Formats: sequence, C-alpha cells, structure tokens
Amino acid sequence: MAADASAAPVVAGRSRDARLLLTLWIVLSVIADLLVGLVLGPHLPPGRASDQAASQQTDFTVLALLATPVVVGVLLYFGWALAFWRQQPGDETDAAPLHGNLRVQATWIIGTAAIVLSLAVYGTVELIAPAGAGAGQGPQPVFKNGMPAAASLTSWTPNSNNILQVQVIGQQWAWTYRYPQFGGFETTQLVLPVGQPVQFNVTSLDVIHSFWAYTLGVKADANPGVNNVAYATPTDTGYFQVRCAELCGIWHGSMYDTGQVMTDSDFMAWTQATKTKLADVTKILPPYALTYDPTTIPAGKVNQALGLTSAGGGYYNPADPEQP
Amino acid sequence: MSLPARVVTLVVAFLAVVAGVLWVVFDIVGPQPTTENYMAYAKNGVVDVTMMTTPQTTISNRPDWVSYFIKNPATGQFDHTTYFAVPANTTVNVTILGYDGCTPLRNPVWGKVAGVANDAENLQMWNGKSMSTAQEVTTFDSWADCSVQHTFAIPSLGINVPVASPDTVDENNALCAASPCTADAADTNSPHSVIKFSFKTPSTTGAYHWQCFVPCGGGYVDGNGGPMATPGYMMGQMEVEA
Repeated sequence: MAADASAAPVVAGRSRDARLLLTLWIVLSVIADLLVGLVLGPHLPPGRASDQAASQQTDFTVLALLATPVVVGVLLYFGWALAFWRQQPGDETDAAPLHGNLRVQATWIIGTAAIVLSLAVYGTVELIAPAGAGAGQGPQPVFKNGMPAAASLTSWTPNSNNILQVQVIGQQWAWTYRYPQFGGFETTQLVLPVGQPVQFNVTSLDVIHSFWAYTLGVKADANPGVNNVAYATPTDTGYFQVRCAELCGIWHGSMYDTGQVMTDSDFMAWTQATKTKLADVTKILPPYALTYDPTTIPAGKVNQALGLTSAGGGYYNPADPEQP
Repeated sequence: MSLPARVVTLVVAFLAVVAGVLWVVFDIVGPQPTTENYMAYAKNGVVDVTMMTTPQTTISNRPDWVSYFIKNPATGQFDHTTYFAVPANTTVNVTILGYDGCTPLRNPVWGKVAGVANDAENLQMWNGKSMSTAQEVTTFDSWADCSVQHTFAIPSLGINVPVASPDTVDENNALCAASPCTADAADTNSPHSVIKFSFKTPSTTGAYHWQCFVPCGGGYVDGNGGPMATPGYMMGQMEVEA
C-alpha cells in the first residue's frame, strides 16, 4: 500500500517534467534555429564567392539547422537532470526502476533514421546540382549539371557555350596554372572571369598535393599522372586564397596563392597581356596535356651526353664516388 | 599514497612527457643554419648579397649533397647557410656564383626569370680560362640545352631566377671538387656562372622562404628530398627586418 501511495506523485512529477522539457525544447530550438539561420548561417564557410561555395554554405546551414534542436535537446535534458533529478542530501533510496519505453525507443529510432536518410538524399542531390559541389571528380567527372561542354580546347570567349579550362599543376612547393585556350601559357597567377563556368584540371609533377581554393569551394587532390576535374562558377570579383591541403613536404605550409576574379573584359585583357609576356617560356613548355611525365624529356645533345635524359631527379652518374 | 606524493608523481610524469616530446621535436628539426645578417650593410636603400652554389658540400656531414653558400658580409668568407637577413623596402643586388653542373628542370616554366628588375638576369660564364661577355637573359631552356643548375626562387614574392650552368660536357666534368669553391671568380679554374639580378624587398617584415626548383636531390624521390628539403642546402629563408 505504501508503494502504491508514493507512485502517483512520481508519475505526476514525470509528466510535469516531460511537458516542461518539451515546451522548453521547442522554444529554445526555435530561438536557436533562428539564430543559426539568420545570424550564423551567412557567415559559415566557405562563403558565397562561387555557385559551388554558396551551395556548400547552404548545405552547412541546413545541417546546422537540423543539428541544433538535437544539441539543444541533449543539453537541456542533461542540464535538467543535473539540476532537478540529482540525489538529494540524505536520500539513500534507489531510483525508480526502468523497464524500457517502447514509445520513446521507437520515436528515437524512427526520428534519427529519418534525419540520417533524408540527409543522405539531400547530400546526394546537392552533389549533383552544383556540378559536384566543387569537389575533384577524377578524370571522368560524373556531376556536370549546369556546366557547358569543353567545346574547344584552343579558344574561349565569355558567355560562349564552351567552358573555360584552367590546368592546376602542383609541384613542391608551388602552384602553377596553365590556360590551354590562350596559347597554353603557364603562370603562377590564378585569374578567373566572374560569372563564367570554369573547369579545373588538377594534376601534379611530383608528390600528392591538394588544390584548395577555399572561398571558391573547390578542393581537388593533385596526383601525379592523374587529371582530377573540379568545377566552379565565381560569382563575385575580388581575391581568393589557394592553399595546399595535402601535407606535401617541408614547405607545404608555404604553398599558397592569392587568386583573383575579375570582369570578363579585364580577364580577356589579362590573358592577352600574359600570353605576350610569357611567349618566350611558353614555346619551351611541353605541349598541353592533361598529365605530364617529367621522367622522360627530349633532352638536348649535351644533356644526353651527360646522361641527363629526364627530370626525374636521379642524375648521379653510377661511377660517381659520391653517390647519395 | 599521500596527496603531496600523488601531486609530485603527476608533475614529474607530466614533465617527463613534455621533455620527451621536446627532445623528439628538436631532434627532428635539428640545428638551424646561421643567418648572414646584411642589415648593417645596406646603404641608401641598397644592399649587396652574394651567394654560391656548389656540386657538393665537403665541409658538412653530407658531402655528396649540392648546396648554396652565402657570403658573410663581415668576413667575406662563404658560410654554409641559406638564411640571410635584409632590410625591408630595400633593393637587394644579388650575385650568385654557380659552380654546379646542369640538371633539367622538372617544370620548364621555372626557366623564366621573373619577379626581378627587368625580369632578366645578367650572366657571365667562366669556362675555366676566360670570362664571357655579360648578357641579359630572360629565359633558359633546360630541356634543350645544358643550361640550368639550380634556381633561386621566392614563391611568395613571385621571384624566380635560374642559375645558369656551364654548358659543355668537358666543363661539367671539371666542376670544383671542394666547397665552398674559390670565392673570387678570377682565382679559380673551375667552370662556373656569375649571375646578377636585383629585386626590392617587401615592406612587410617576416621570413620569406626561398628554394630551388631543379630536382637536384639526386637519389631521392623525384629529386626533391635530401638537400632540396633541408635548410642550409637548397632551401632557406630571407628574413626581412625593419
């Protein structure tokens, strides 16, 4: 009888706590989501400097909006338990036994499963919609939605149905950029036109690097002998940072550039000026290709006489007594 | 165990771990090259810096590695270091005595002189008997000719200067055998190049790394290990100070 008499207040207390917790959770979640969506969201990386970056920022915001009520719920429950359900001084009695709660378990499993599966669908759609969301897609990109084909590899004009090709070449420890549609010049400057789709063909001449145009939302590994394609469409003129995101040696931390997005007319003027300025070195570059093999080069007469038939690094004469 | 004993044990264990980590870090990093300080030698916004490349480093524990040396402005001797300090907003007139033989660039684009005055270097060649007439050179084709031994490049400043190499088989087989090579160009029979160029240091102080883009670390992966990845040999720092 004594046990039955004490059970009623406990159940009533649980119901009251549950109602309070639910009410508080809803109110706090709405407030937190408003803050995330309106205040934090516009400042989430990588910004909106390209269609792909904007898509990533939207995705991060959506994820944060979904995760926030979960975080609020966990912290609220944790805090509530600490504040109100803690053992009182002098109370040596056991807590009420737990026998499971099918409704709670089912709600939790179904709810989390629904969230995870819907995010999987959402993530897949978001990967397709902005042409791979700026990620490197390998030599045969699958997600090209919205990107024009590479109609010509020898010429390009703004707003043509021909995507701008920019080859990104990683080497220890610098990036160089080659523009095949403008005579194939290669430069240390990365310049792009605003509002024009760009196809980055990323490769390396030595070890694995990773081309990370952070604010453009582009990230693609640079592997020797492999062409890794990523797409982006810059939406604002200005500057952006390029970094290497793969530990590639002692000066990995110094492997960065500042790129520039400019108007179409400025870009065309820049390409012509750079093409002219670099004409003497462009003519000694190897023909434009998606990958390069420096271990075999058409070495000149003296080079061959000295046994220098590649730029692979192993040049010491076997007879050299000071072999490394 | 008493509370003081526990505390002492914890502190000793913590310090032991910290000491171990520091030992590993410093053992890996190793001693850094000394810095040739040109700060006091700048006059009227101009300072002269002289360097040397050598086909080996016989004064080090890596005698088979190629290396740069930098002239000590106080003693006039070439020291085995690749660190030097210069003032900000100052024109640096660089002279490099290139005593090494040729190696093709991994990327021919680094055969272009860039980021220095007129995007050109002044080049003279000593073939062992006489010095050639000075000429301005803007581009080297290291794949077509035996023409480049190393480069001096500061990527963050857009500076790239190929160091010309002796261009014949005989000259490449008669490189200087001890390092540093004889400093005075007129006093040696070893073939070498003498290149000169100028650039202005930035107004922003700090350490600017410089490196060689020729894969001259023979025997290492892609030629980019060994001397290419060790301070004091084929890479270093230009420290720009106020």
